[in-house]
Amino acid sequence: MTEQELIESGILELYVSGVLPQDEVIEIEKEISNSNLLQQEVEKIEASLITLAASVAPPLPAMVWTYILNSIQKVKKLTTVEESRTNWAAITGWAAAILFIGGILWMLNENNELQDTVVKTNIENTQLEENLNNKNTELAETTDVLEILRAKELKSFTLPGNQAVAPEAYAKVYLNKDATIAYIDAKGLPEPPRGKVYQVWSLIVEPLTPTSMGLLSSAELMSNNVYKFENFPNPEAIGITLEPEGGSETPTMTQLYILGGVTGQ
Amino acid sequence: MTQPNELILEMQQGNESSFSTLYTMYSEALHGIIYSIVLDHNVAEEVLQDVFIKIWDNSSRYDINKGRFFTWILNIARNTAIDHTRSKAHKNQRKNLSTTNFVDILSSSDSLNRKVNAIGIDKFVKKLKPTCIQIIDYLFFKGYTQAAAAKELDMPLGTLKTRNRNCLNELRTIVLG
Repeated sequence: MTEQELIESGILELYVSGVLPQDEVIEIEKEISNSNLLQQEVEKIEASLITLAASVAPPLPAMVWTYILNSIQKVKKLTTVEESRTNWAAITGWAAAILFIGGILWMLNENNELQDTVVKTNIENTQLEENLNNKNTELAETTDVLEILRAKELKSFTLPGNQAVAPEAYAKVYLNKDATIAYIDAKGLPEPPRGKVYQVWSLIVEPLTPTSMGLLSSAELMSNNVYKFENFPNPEAIGITLEPEGGSETPTMTQLYILGGVTGQ
Repeated sequence: MTQPNELILEMQQGNESSFSTLYTMYSEALHGIIYSIVLDHNVAEEVLQDVFIKIWDNSSRYDINKGRFFTWILNIARNTAIDHTRSKAHKNQRKNLSTTNFVDILSSSDSLNRKVNAIGIDKFVKKLKPTCIQIIDYLFFKGYTQAAAAKELDMPLGTLKTRNRNCLNELRTIVLG
């Protein structure tokens, strides 16, 4: 089609009115872009149609434009708000992540502390078990001692303290003369000072002959301040003196704490 | 008239002032199209608002190298107005009105666009033959496809096109002097 034929066909009017099928639109646009004449014709058609349409328009209040402007600006503001919302989400996310990490660190710390506590408690348990074992052992020993002291062969004596040296002190002696075994309960004696030790003497009165039975030391200790002595001359009396560590050959009479007879009954 | 491509490009960049100028240039024509479809002042204003908001929101879809800007916004206006006439509210409101075209509007109202009428459109319209009125109403104001309009008017396609052109020709001389 020539330009003139195109113009007279009426196709340009349909093109401007927007009612031409898409394939024809593409074709006609190719023609228009290559022709100033067609371009001008299209512009004239458009101008007349715009005038025709405007002629039937009722008066247009200014507030219509105000409304449109508000709407498109509101959309813009909403978009801005959404952006800040996104930021909040990100901030919240980071805060949650930090709290989460903080929580994990706190829990790790708690866990470590709990493990420490468990270790401490285990140690305490072990100590308590040891204590219990010790107590059980002590109890058994005490029971043993009690059993021994109850034996009918034993005779018991309460030896008084020397008025001059230790008036409050006393000692109990359980004696089996036949077997020459003596048990001495030293509970009534004060703690020996540092570097000193109690020594037990078997005494024959006529003539006065002291013989060392031994020291109140751990070697003779049975339990609960009860000491066991064996193999000593049959005594008439028993004395206890405070001696330097290791004991002495003869008793130091100035440090005689206990003295009492063990005959009779 | 030459298409204001610069304004259109600026609007596509989000320039409200350019959009405002385009509104001034095209709002009356679109308002006329919309009013001839919805036939209610308030509804026409509402639809026009929707149409320009759509133009703004979808401006990136228009390409100045493909098709006329006026044709693009004309289609938006007609489609939005027709969508509205299909709404339940509109059907209830319009139940008792007879069909009206642009000529009826022009002849029934004296408060219409005086600036435009001053150049003699009303005189042009009054001289239009009934067939011309129908052709222009279907193709331009209502946006019928050429096939649908040809069928409605019982007219071969080629005849429809040339008749449409002849009907509009006199308008052109009036408008363009």
